[in-house]
Amino acid sequence: MSWLFKDPVLLAAVLCTWLPFLSMAVILIFTRHKPQLSSYISIGAVSTSLICALYLLIKLVHVGEPVEYRTAWLIADDIIIPFGYLFDPLSLLMLLIVAVISFLVQVYSLGYMAGDPGFSRYYAFQSLFAWAMMDMVIAPGMLQLYIFWELVGLASYLLIGFYYEKWSAGQAGKKAFVMTRLGDIGFFLGLILLVLGFGDLGIVAMNEAAQAQAIPSYLITASALLIFCGVIGKSAQFPLLTWLPDAMEGPTPVSALLHSATMVAAGVYMFSRIFPFFAASPTAMAIALAIGTITMLLSSTMAMATYDIKQVWAYSTVSQLGFMVMGLAAGGYFAGVFHLTTHAGFKALLFLCSGVFIHEYHSNDMRDIGKGGGRSLKIPMVCMTVGALALSGVFPFSGFFSKEAIMGVLAAYPNKIWLLAGLLGALMTAYYSFRLIFMILFPKKVDATMPHDAVHYHQEKDDKIQIDHEEAAAGHGAAHGHGSSHGHEEGHGNVFWYMAWPLIILTTITLVLGFFQHSLEGFLLGHAADAHGGEGGHGAGHYALLIAAVSMGLAGIAWAYYEFGRKGASQEGFLARLPKTQALFANRWYIDRFLRRFLDRAIYGGLTNVFTRNDRRVIDGGIDGFCLFTIGSGRLFSFLQSGMLQYNLLVMVAAVGLVVLYFVV
Amino acid sequence: MNFMTEAMAQAAFWIVVGLTLAGAVIAVFPRNIVYNVLGLVLALTGVAGLYVFLGSMFIGLMQLLIYVGAICVAIVFAIMLSRPLHLEVPQRKLPKVLLAAMASCLFAIALIGVSLRTAWKPAAERGTDWSVATIGELLLTRYDLVFEVISLVLLVAILGAIVTAGFSRRLTS
Amino acid sequence: MNTLSTYLIIAALLFGLGLLGVLQRRNLIGMLISIELMLNGANINFMAFNRFLAPEPAVGQIITLFVMGLAAAEAAIGLSIILALFRKFRSINVERAQQMRG
Repeated sequence: MSWLFKDPVLLAAVLCTWLPFLSMAVILIFTRHKPQLSSYISIGAVSTSLICALYLLIKLVHVGEPVEYRTAWLIADDIIIPFGYLFDPLSLLMLLIVAVISFLVQVYSLGYMAGDPGFSRYYAFQSLFAWAMMDMVIAPGMLQLYIFWELVGLASYLLIGFYYEKWSAGQAGKKAFVMTRLGDIGFFLGLILLVLGFGDLGIVAMNEAAQAQAIPSYLITASALLIFCGVIGKSAQFPLLTWLPDAMEGPTPVSALLHSATMVAAGVYMFSRIFPFFAASPTAMAIALAIGTITMLLSSTMAMATYDIKQVWAYSTVSQLGFMVMGLAAGGYFAGVFHLTTHAGFKALLFLCSGVFIHEYHSNDMRDIGKGGGRSLKIPMVCMTVGALALSGVFPFSGFFSKEAIMGVLAAYPNKIWLLAGLLGALMTAYYSFRLIFMILFPKKVDATMPHDAVHYHQEKDDKIQIDHEEAAAGHGAAHGHGSSHGHEEGHGNVFWYMAWPLIILTTITLVLGFFQHSLEGFLLGHAADAHGGEGGHGAGHYALLIAAVSMGLAGIAWAYYEFGRKGASQEGFLARLPKTQALFANRWYIDRFLRRFLDRAIYGGLTNVFTRNDRRVIDGGIDGFCLFTIGSGRLFSFLQSGMLQYNLLVMVAAVGLVVLYFVV
Repeated sequence: MNFMTEAMAQAAFWIVVGLTLAGAVIAVFPRNIVYNVLGLVLALTGVAGLYVFLGSMFIGLMQLLIYVGAICVAIVFAIMLSRPLHLEVPQRKLPKVLLAAMASCLFAIALIGVSLRTAWKPAAERGTDWSVATIGELLLTRYDLVFEVISLVLLVAILGAIVTAGFSRRLTS
Repeated sequence: MNTLSTYLIIAALLFGLGLLGVLQRRNLIGMLISIELMLNGANINFMAFNRFLAPEPAVGQIITLFVMGLAAAEAAIGLSIILALFRKFRSINVERAQQMRG
């Protein structure tokens, strides 16, 4: 072990990435029945990770070349698959983000999950999540990245289905797992293709070879597209985007973690991790750009039609991820990563704030929270507004800077349609965010004499929306689940502050982070800037663009204010007047239904039949035949086992006699 | 005179052999079990006579004591307890008898062949001490372990017999 | 008359007759009787070897004694098993005792 202590960087790296794993093991094995101790172990581990990540960042911030610790893990002839650590600005930054968000979420969970019967289990899974994500972030090779990528998927499956006794939670967990797996098939195929064609899965080697055009372009395009399938699954991009809104079945802090720094960020992180590799294939980049755009627009529209606050943020995550993919695919390496960073901060903030509301009012419905007096919770209300402002891209919050960066990249792109789409997305984002804020902040006055009518009114409206049964069940189930699993705990003030501090810290980060844009840019691009210098956006049209983007955001807010905020507003939104469109949005553009149809027709109807036939006829038939043969021969031989002692003896004696005669006489 | 005793001894030997084999045949063939037991008594007595011819009066007496006196009596008791006389006598199946006869003939021929074709060599030095005292001494010195084990086996057999017979009674009643 | 092979042949005949009984009797007690015959055939062999070949005449007699002791034990166990079987099947016909047949 002495090699470990010789190099403090390596020691810090190992501590940082493996302590959460250790804490998971300790919790699962030893302290499962001591929830308090489990949470302390887990938080202790993750805070140590946080300190180590900070140390690594400070220590390595000025190192020019990426620092790499690797051992050859699998050696097959000339294919060497490494395992170890890769520290470059991107992984250091991401490591820090993961550590910070995990730490804050775990502290927050002390309040949110207090009294839950699965408290220890929850912390074990949180540790697993942190471990998987951190080891994924520092992976020097694609295979290690892939392994931990899947572990991240596993952890999110476990946490989404945390309330496993609830049917919809189990379903949501399965949906998340299976849909991301669908993308991962493509990812893995891409890796195989790459090993066959290129023979090295080291990230540095891949990027350098792609930049030096040492890999044939068709190979890059094919494998990049396949690998992008993984991003589609993990980061909930266009055809596979519906698992993420369902993922809010898990506890709210889990959603915060999942939506900000870990699960969905993994996809975008992987994209930026091998960004030069992707950049070497214009086709792949174009397709990624289109998919990102479609995702962003679709999910923004979906967010306009839901009343579940967690779902609004979930859709907004999807749309922001689409936005990041757009930024990356348009060539804006820094822009995408920067938005990933800021988004991690404010999205965690938004979810944690909603968590406070949900915790307090036992409802996910923004109308209920508004009527219940959501505005009286000052700290979360303010924090949520800050988060929403950041999400809408309003100066001076962090979202403004990163969105601006992506807009700049899009503006530099020759085809302006992407820029228009981006601006439209910004408008819709501001609209749906502030629709939520205003609905909580300025609840429609309910006539005290007729409370029942109001309820009926909402129910009728719900019916009109014709939400799919599945989703309706999911929404109600979530509300009930929270209602039953947390009563009002003792020590309310303590719990409240556990939950409030992370909010305040995240708010501060959201406020401050934007101003570090240039230092971050220098840090991230310091060594790679020359590789893709076309980091546009700071040209002539910059100010015009800036004004356009901000005004889009403000216009969205104003629109929302007009419909939901001002006195006497109907709080119905323009969608209520377009029932068809609203149904379309609320049902997620029927993507789920389409996937279900596809599954029923193509998989269950076609493919499965073939396999079933094969199973029945060939495999079962073969086994049956073998069994029949065994039984038959057993019958045959059992005639000898007649129970007739004397015949057995007779045969034996005769045989011995013959042998003796043969040898002697 | 010497010739006479020699001839008498010869005649006595063959008579004993005849009695033994006749007893064996009676013990095996008749279907009435009581005849079989009586045949067995005859054959065992004949064997005791053979032991006397082989120079050991003691073993001959033991043969009479143990086999004829104990085992045959036990068999008679078993016959009385299991009342086979009251049950129908099973019919003999010719193919089975023929097969059994062939197999046992084969085996007997093999044995006789072995004993005839082997060149038996007597030991170089042969003692002449046939006394019962030596047998007793050897039993308690050189063969004491075997002696003890045999005793144990007998004990276990007695207990086992009691248990087997007793338990089955309890189970069936 | 007093040669080794005479005794060996007599022993073999006795053994063969006993074997025949074991193989064809259906009566369990009959089989037990036949087994006693076979044991006696073996005993004659021991005694004959003792008389004509062995260096120490006491040893063969001792072994014969042991065989007798074992035969007594075997008879005791065998008879008790026969009694148990008789109680169970109301018969001492071996061909009825076929519960283990395949």
